[in-house]
Amino acid sequence: MFLAFRPWKKEGKLNYMDAVRPKESLKSSPSYARGKSRYIFANRFRALFAYLVLLFFVAFAVGPVLYLISPALRDSISLFDYPPKIIPDEPTLDNFRFLFDSTRYLSWALNTIIYAAGTTIISLFTNVLAGYAFARLQFPGRNLLFFLVLSTLMVPVAAVLAPTYLMVREIGELPIIGRPFFGLDTYLGLILPCTVSPLGVFMMRQFISTLPVGLYEAARLDGASEWRILFKIVLPLIKPALVVLGIFVFMITWANFLWPLVAASGDDYRVLTVGIASLKGQFVTHWGVLAAASLMTLIPVTIVFLFFQKWFVQASMAGALKQ
Amino acid sequence: MAEVILKRLVKTFGSVPAVDDVSLQIPDGEFLVLLGPSGCGKSTILRLIAGLEDATSGEIVIGDELVNFIDPTRRNLAMVFQNYALYPHMSVRKNVAFPLETAKMPRHKITEAVSKAAAMLEIDEFLDRLPEQLSGGQRQRVALARAIVREPKIFLMDEPLSNLDAKLRLQTRIELMSLHERLGITTIYVTHDQIEAMTMGQRIAVLHEGRLQQVGPPTEVYDVPANKFVATFMGAPPMNLMDGELQQSDANWMFIREGYRLQVDQEQMRIAQSALANAVGEVSLGVRPEDMRLGDLGSNGLPGIVRFLEPIGSDLYVTVSVESHSVQVRMPPKTKVSIGDKVKIEFDLGKAHLFDSSQNNLRLS
Amino acid sequence: MSKSPDYFNSGVPTGQEAWAKLELSSQEYRKNASRYRLRYLTRASGFLAPYMILWLAFLAIPVGWAIFLSFNDGGVLDPRYWVGFDNWARTFDDSELTQVVINTSLFVVLAITIVFGLAIFLASLINNHRRGENFFKVTLYFPLLAPPILGAMIWHFMLHFDFGIVNLITRGLFGWEGVNFLGKNPTALFAIIAVEIWRGLGFWVLFYLAGLQSVPGELLEAAKLDGARGLRRFIRISVPVLRPLFLFALVIAIIMNFQLFDSVKILTDGGPRMGTATIVWFIYRRMFAFQDTGLAFSASVGLLIGTMLLTLLCFWLLGRGRKRES
Repeated sequence: MFLAFRPWKKEGKLNYMDAVRPKESLKSSPSYARGKSRYIFANRFRALFAYLVLLFFVAFAVGPVLYLISPALRDSISLFDYPPKIIPDEPTLDNFRFLFDSTRYLSWALNTIIYAAGTTIISLFTNVLAGYAFARLQFPGRNLLFFLVLSTLMVPVAAVLAPTYLMVREIGELPIIGRPFFGLDTYLGLILPCTVSPLGVFMMRQFISTLPVGLYEAARLDGASEWRILFKIVLPLIKPALVVLGIFVFMITWANFLWPLVAASGDDYRVLTVGIASLKGQFVTHWGVLAAASLMTLIPVTIVFLFFQKWFVQASMAGALKQ
Repeated sequence: MAEVILKRLVKTFGSVPAVDDVSLQIPDGEFLVLLGPSGCGKSTILRLIAGLEDATSGEIVIGDELVNFIDPTRRNLAMVFQNYALYPHMSVRKNVAFPLETAKMPRHKITEAVSKAAAMLEIDEFLDRLPEQLSGGQRQRVALARAIVREPKIFLMDEPLSNLDAKLRLQTRIELMSLHERLGITTIYVTHDQIEAMTMGQRIAVLHEGRLQQVGPPTEVYDVPANKFVATFMGAPPMNLMDGELQQSDANWMFIREGYRLQVDQEQMRIAQSALANAVGEVSLGVRPEDMRLGDLGSNGLPGIVRFLEPIGSDLYVTVSVESHSVQVRMPPKTKVSIGDKVKIEFDLGKAHLFDSSQNNLRLS
Repeated sequence: MSKSPDYFNSGVPTGQEAWAKLELSSQEYRKNASRYRLRYLTRASGFLAPYMILWLAFLAIPVGWAIFLSFNDGGVLDPRYWVGFDNWARTFDDSELTQVVINTSLFVVLAITIVFGLAIFLASLINNHRRGENFFKVTLYFPLLAPPILGAMIWHFMLHFDFGIVNLITRGLFGWEGVNFLGKNPTALFAIIAVEIWRGLGFWVLFYLAGLQSVPGELLEAAKLDGARGLRRFIRISVPVLRPLFLFALVIAIIMNFQLFDSVKILTDGGPRMGTATIVWFIYRRMFAFQDTGLAFSASVGLLIGTMLLTLLCFWLLGRGRKRES
């Protein structure tokens, strides 16, 4: 039936007809021909309907971003003109120029990269180590500890926002480990609290425990230390999982708005999300600049996405399906 | 190279004993086979020696070192796993070199050792392939090369042949034996296949439900099984067992069952007088199929009726029902016998065994 | 059978030195064994420490601290003092908080219903019409690349009263004045829902598509032979397969959506007249703008408990479903 609903696949339809297999004499009767053409027509109609619906939602998904091009190339005042000029008469790059000259867009972008890359690297590092310990090392209290970590999986980040903010502020006041290394408005203060999601530990544990135990045991008998086993045997074998987790963490982190908003509101450590949000003024907003900034931000991500779409899709599913 | 001693070794998982009070001494250079049905604890013993499991109690000595509290990484022994456990992302060369690189051996020595091991096992042609590009037999040889390359104190092998097809198994068996002969490294080999055990082992240790049943050279274990379990586990078809009663009449010992009386000759059966005296009551008489023959009806044998005939080319196995028992007899292939025939079964008293009510063999040697 | 030493003495010379090694007193044995086991712990702690320290500092302790501070006032800028259940009492009769809980719940219910319904519908369309599958996957997924606040910015250009494309079209085509989506209730909430659907739809389509494509082929074949068609077959075959997936998706969606903040902050900042204010927006405001930390913490803990209860409920339903199926 699924086959039959694909009008472009001739064999599929024939197969379906084969299954029904009317007698030869019946096939030549006019009522059969009518039935067959009605059947084909119904299928074509269904397919047409399906594709119209799908294309509508494609437009819904992509349209808003594509439309940004228009306001980005116009000056903000002309937005309010009536009748609207969706295709500008004189396209201008003023909005982009403003972005680079009058805001700290580049510094925001750099901070975002530091923030997201730092979070990704530190998360991968800590998650792989902990995942390995939970998957392969024997130690008393292993199950209890793992249960404790897992039980925090469902803690909404926003619910611990305030106390986490306090923790960062208090640790920042401590000698030696505090400022300038750690605290509010420092890179580490921004990054470290974002690396604690138990999801990564859980994923890594799952991946590592699906590797054959024999490999691990063989390596131990070959004299390899746990560290050597991790780096020489386990890591090369879970590379795909690492990439998936890495993209997942990166995507979540660079999109984060709430935490950077409270933890790094200072000018020097502002990230893109907070920066762009600050462009939307209380009273006056340069809408053209906003459109330009949104577009500027999305273009590099889109390019990376188009090259690695399979990994992206897997990464976002990983968070959901790997549990 | 080293001697291995297990003393009163116990391993329990939860409350289930997997290894129950096993003591064993394996002299330097010996090829010992741990034999038993699945779940008898033979693999667990191997893993205890390797250090992959911690003993619940008891001691393990390798060389003259107590290794219970030494990390498996530093016990310097090599293990060949059932599924070979080759590192899938490394070439054969890297696989074989891995233990040496781990030991931080200088590069040129590693190259030398790898090519020596590769030559010995004839894997030099595919040193640069990945394990997934090899056949089962080739993988097996790579696993062996990885094991021998760093000259371990002992070899542990966990059913290494069970993933190979029958023909390859035969060939690899011979290779393993010649390898042992050349290197002379103490080898502990786990299998459930009694043919493998008989052909390869210098000694066999038979295990059942975590307990050691018997240790000895293959012929001894086969000829004088210590108890009923060993008697039926070794040999295919297994030893025939017939229940009966041991009685003393005058100076003679008699084995009695319905329609059959047999005088037990201490001399021929090599059973001590005191053992017989203790065993009076229910006993089992055991004789291997190859030690039995079909006699004529006038003889003084076990009476029975032929039920099945299994010609296997070299021999003919005749299944005879004796009362409620069935007894298998091995005969020459062209024997004239047909189903339904009444027969009497004869055997040499010198080849018969008597098992007492606690299943132990009364025979001395 | 006997495990006596005479078995291993048969014909084999015994190394006296080696036997001597075996003579460990039980006390020594136990001492060595526990030292050996301790090594396991030290080795594992090297692997666990980096994560566990961060976890303690930024997840476990904050959870505890939030609970503790919900019984206090101050503690952020002002000195902290114990107020017992005052905050909790206020939590239950603060009209603003009641409002945001209602708003958030309304948002969660509407957004999840619509997005799941659409996603399942689109996923089965794609599944039935395989041509262009990858194109639809990629394009529908695309909005997820935009961080939520960018999504909100982008949608200004759709929904703005003066220059939003929706109003421009209706004005041009029908001459209507247009709708001030963001300036009115309840359209402001609908606008927020639209933005969240825009961002999330592709993800859920892919999610359900993966689920649908995991329906075993034989099952569909069997249903075909039984004569089940269209919707009937979907209900009989695909729904049971999707059910556990669906409940699981529900857990994720509930946790995510109850934390709605970014697009609210950008699009309406809670307005008009608190019509789009959400729980996290409320917590943020009380904490960082009003310094009413007591209520911020009790609301945080309330959010934590509420989410956990809902999650447990879903898992309980999931477990019950599994039991019934087996």
